[in-house]
Amino acid sequence: MFARLLWKLLHASRGRLVVAMVALVSGAAVISALLNLQLDIERKLTQEFRTLGANLVISRAQTVQALSQAAESPALIDEREVLSQVERNRTHEVVAAAPFLYIVARVKAKPLIVAGTWLDEAIKLAPTWKIAGGQVASRGDLTSCLAGRNVAQQLSLTPGSKLELNYLGRTARMTVAGIVDAGAAEDNQLLVNLPVTQALAGLNGQIGMVQLSVNGTPKTIEAFAKKLAAALPVLEVRPIRQVAEAEGALLGRIRLLILSMVLLILVLTGLCVLATMAALAMERREDVGLMKALGGSISRIVGLFLAEVGVLGAVGGLVGCLAGVALSHWMGQRVFGAAISPRWEIFPLTIALMVAAALAGALPLRRLGNVKPAVIFRGE
Amino acid sequence: MPTLVQVEGLRKEFGNVRALDGVSFNVEEGEWIAIMGPSGSGKTTLINILGGLDTPTGGQAMVDGTDVARLNEAGLTRYRAEKIGFIFQQFHLVPYLTALENVMLAQYFHSTTDEKEALQALARVGLADRVTHLPAQLSGGEQQRVAVARALINHPKLVLADEPTGNLDEANQETVINLLRELHKEGHTILMVTHDPALGCMADRRIELAHGRLVHQAATVAQRR
Repeated sequence: MFARLLWKLLHASRGRLVVAMVALVSGAAVISALLNLQLDIERKLTQEFRTLGANLVISRAQTVQALSQAAESPALIDEREVLSQVERNRTHEVVAAAPFLYIVARVKAKPLIVAGTWLDEAIKLAPTWKIAGGQVASRGDLTSCLAGRNVAQQLSLTPGSKLELNYLGRTARMTVAGIVDAGAAEDNQLLVNLPVTQALAGLNGQIGMVQLSVNGTPKTIEAFAKKLAAALPVLEVRPIRQVAEAEGALLGRIRLLILSMVLLILVLTGLCVLATMAALAMERREDVGLMKALGGSISRIVGLFLAEVGVLGAVGGLVGCLAGVALSHWMGQRVFGAAISPRWEIFPLTIALMVAAALAGALPLRRLGNVKPAVIFRGE
Repeated sequence: MPTLVQVEGLRKEFGNVRALDGVSFNVEEGEWIAIMGPSGSGKTTLINILGGLDTPTGGQAMVDGTDVARLNEAGLTRYRAEKIGFIFQQFHLVPYLTALENVMLAQYFHSTTDEKEALQALARVGLADRVTHLPAQLSGGEQQRVAVARALINHPKLVLADEPTGNLDEANQETVINLLRELHKEGHTILMVTHDPALGCMADRRIELAHGRLVHQAATVAQRR
């Protein structure tokens, strides 16, 4: 009989309840879209941040003693030791890891910073690089190089140009494969594969640092850095603070914004339901008076009405969630240029929030508890 | 016959207005009482108090051993569900429930619903073919018969009828009067408020109120016969 009464109540007041239902569906749609966005935004944003370049650096510890030694000789690290540890601890979150050895060589008697690295991996570290001409696809290619935009301009280099690097009496002949527009320090560098700088400097098996690009939140990156630091106790593994902090601050602000909006929408939805229920409570005074006269306890009567509101909240929440998936898909396309994948775990959360908002909006029904049957029958 | 209703010095005040002023009378089990009097004499107030819809300002109203005046809200609710069957002048059916569901509503608030029993109750008042109709699809007489079926479905100790024929045409009045007669024959105790002297004469006893006081009570012709 409970289900029968519930259905009759919903059916009898459908005109008025449609207003509450529209509010609940709209609220649930926006909330589920925002929550979906909130859950997916960390992944999307960290992907976006990875385009900014490396966010983790492994180098010799920058202690006072090390710094004084560095003045005399560069603080070098053993390539095999560090890279083997990086590989051992590598997870799917590591997008790229490349060793670097910098030297200042001379080209036509002009000093030039030459970065020795794995060029195939370095490109993954900085996916925003624009390269005119060709790339250096293999780290074993010891005759091709990439010239930074400014270097190319100063030395009049174009793809295919040849140049000779001189360092400590050693030379290396290179062909420019492409011109790099990085918008960063690389614009002033010549990029070659690591063995080239190692051979020029006579530092085989030695590198200056390893740069890594790691996906994930600042916390994930910090955790990965700690893991690596434990495996490389004599080296310093540090996240690049500006990137991590910018990412953390942005994520925090977006999270706060989304949660504030969710709260606001919940309040507005609750208020809309409240207005509908206040009118409904007035309409139902006579029914409640009669039900009380027939021996209906107030808990049973109000329970019936609350169940009705609960059903509204649940149905509104479910329909809204489905609409929210479509909305978040659209928002993902507009904001990130990629669809945001639906997160099914937000369904129960959104439905629960909608039921809560609907029940909070049903507060006027509490007034029905004060209805006196005799007063109602007198027509007052 | 044992006494079912015992009213002693019953008073009810609405602000400065004294609706009942020391009313006392008894009703035996199986009796049909007609409460009569002009408008504003306190008839409906008396019925409301005996039905647990209102509380008295003073005095005692014992129904089947329960002092209605001493019951709290929860006690009054159980009392109404278990001991009282109401028949109102305005029928007071839930408009969005069918005839059957209106009867079952009383069962639902009493204990558990029994559709078969509700169907039998409607068949008994001659509405077997109208069970799925909404109140708006029924005539006044049919609505009142649904109300009678609803009033009896939980086998109440006391049936309270407030102007049960007041809103009916002559043909439907006759139907409802016949139903009340049947109920009386079956041994139901009925307290009926009416303005209609003809209907009042069908009861066993007539209690007359004026200005909240019991001014006259006497066995009717029907009882003397």
